[in-house]
Amino acid sequence: MARKATNTFTHLSPFQRFYLIAVAGLIVGPFIPLIIQSLAFRWAWPNLLPTVWWMEQRERSPIPLAWDYVLSPYSRVYEATFNTMVIGLAVTVICLAICLPAARVLARESFRGKSSFEFFLSLPLIVPEAAIGIALLMIFINLGLAGSYFGIIIAHLIPTIPYMVRMLTAVYQGLGREFEEQAMILGATRWQILRMVTLPMLMPGVVAGALFTFLVSSNIFLLTFFLGQGKIITLPTLLFSKISGGTLDASAAGITLIVSLPGIILLIISERFIKEEAFGKGFGN
Amino acid sequence: MATQDTALEIRSERRSAAQRNALLMRIAELAPIVIVLFVLFGGALVLALLQSLGFAPWFGINTFPDFSYFGALWGSSAFWVSLGLTLYYGFVSTIIALIMAIVLSLALIKPFRGKILYKYLYKLPLMIPYTVGIALAVLMLGNGGILSRLLALVGMIDNPGDFPQILKTHYGWGIMAVYVWKQVPFMTLAIYAVLLGIGRETEEAAAILGATRRQIFFSVTLPQILPGIVSSTLICFAFNVGAFEAPFILGGGYPDTLPVVAWRYFNDANYAFQLQGMATVVSIGIVAGVILFAYLAVYRRYERMRGRA
Repeated sequence: MARKATNTFTHLSPFQRFYLIAVAGLIVGPFIPLIIQSLAFRWAWPNLLPTVWWMEQRERSPIPLAWDYVLSPYSRVYEATFNTMVIGLAVTVICLAICLPAARVLARESFRGKSSFEFFLSLPLIVPEAAIGIALLMIFINLGLAGSYFGIIIAHLIPTIPYMVRMLTAVYQGLGREFEEQAMILGATRWQILRMVTLPMLMPGVVAGALFTFLVSSNIFLLTFFLGQGKIITLPTLLFSKISGGTLDASAAGITLIVSLPGIILLIISERFIKEEAFGKGFGN
Repeated sequence: MATQDTALEIRSERRSAAQRNALLMRIAELAPIVIVLFVLFGGALVLALLQSLGFAPWFGINTFPDFSYFGALWGSSAFWVSLGLTLYYGFVSTIIALIMAIVLSLALIKPFRGKILYKYLYKLPLMIPYTVGIALAVLMLGNGGILSRLLALVGMIDNPGDFPQILKTHYGWGIMAVYVWKQVPFMTLAIYAVLLGIGRETEEAAAILGATRRQIFFSVTLPQILPGIVSSTLICFAFNVGAFEAPFILGGGYPDTLPVVAWRYFNDANYAFQLQGMATVVSIGIVAGVILFAYLAVYRRYERMRGRA
């Protein structure tokens, strides 16, 4: 009996084994035809593989035709990548500057209305993005910010702040006060304590928060699309314009792969940074 | 005696000065986040509401308060169809994703070979934009897509037209597939985090006391992972209701979901329609707000009944 009970806790059931494989297939599977599509020259229904690959057409094009286009300036991939990076970096820096002091107060002090304040900080996550996007567009058009980097960066702060402040608050909570107090006793100034004691100890959490903020910002479509007014394109909006007709040709497949690339790189470097705890926290308790 | 009093006074003055400084410091630390969120987020919502009620002096329109935009919107049957579609895509995909995520996280907490690799792999959709998911849906689920070719391979269909239409219908299978594909990892992350936090002792205790697997899940595990379920479903449902790109590309056309309707109004050459668009946006906000607050209220009541909150 006891043996059976421990078995159900330490061993996958046959169904779970099947389920894990099925989910992995659903997640990764579609990328295989995507890669094939980006290398295909002619791929008509109902063939499961292209009838004419790029390799057979090498005399016409030295590299896969679709990739030739994707890597050329005409596809605007470079421009979109550059914009995504610049916007993501700026959003991350500003978001950190705003959230670090707030996280300290939230983690260490108690004040009246704190729980409602925390709820207010989570609110941007549960207000539909279309509502924020269109309302902001109206304001930004009047302020002359529509279609500007500044406007998009500001708008990206709305969905990133809630995550950042949660992650940093969790980091501050895990950090004892003793080291800072000792530094104070030894005569360090406030600035010295921040620079030489608090920040180094916060660093892992700050890196995690920064990576995640960059990730969220680089994945935002709606706010960039609405507020960019077609003047500023990022990777998600570039892909949108390629597939908005509802078809996916070889060059669109190539662009899809390029757009997935930053996320895959971030996944590889950040898996151990992204703490599950920041997501497990309940809403408003 | 007198000197003692003054000493006390000075000390308390000093303390109150220190307290005031601490308070000022705290206000200074919270000010940036409050300003950014109140001005941007709060300001946008308030202005949207004002505009939907006829306040738009920059177009030369100022008939505030004017309920005719809401009247015109709510009076048309197309609005209610759009609202129904928006909620239907949001609800169904959230529920499917939730069930898949619970099953996945229950499997993930057990040890198995290749777990480290798997924990990278399952997060992939979380890391990439929704537009990638849409592109994959077009590639896999379209009439000339991979699924249709596979069916042709086994001889079930003879031409692409025979393939059941998944994309561009009002059933929204394509839209919901993208939401589910993207959100199962997100919900799994939240639920798995809670599962890690609570450990497995209570479940093991229940098993030793003779509870069946079903009893363990519904009376021990489920109540414990509820916080993760509630926060992740809140976020995903709100996102699904306010999403634009998937319904725009994969949806069935008129009547569209509300965010697409709002966008079309907003890009209309006739400026007055922008206010109609604002009324649409405010309607999305109201409907989503009512549903989400009701959901939270029910959840909190449940927690209080269990004596947890």
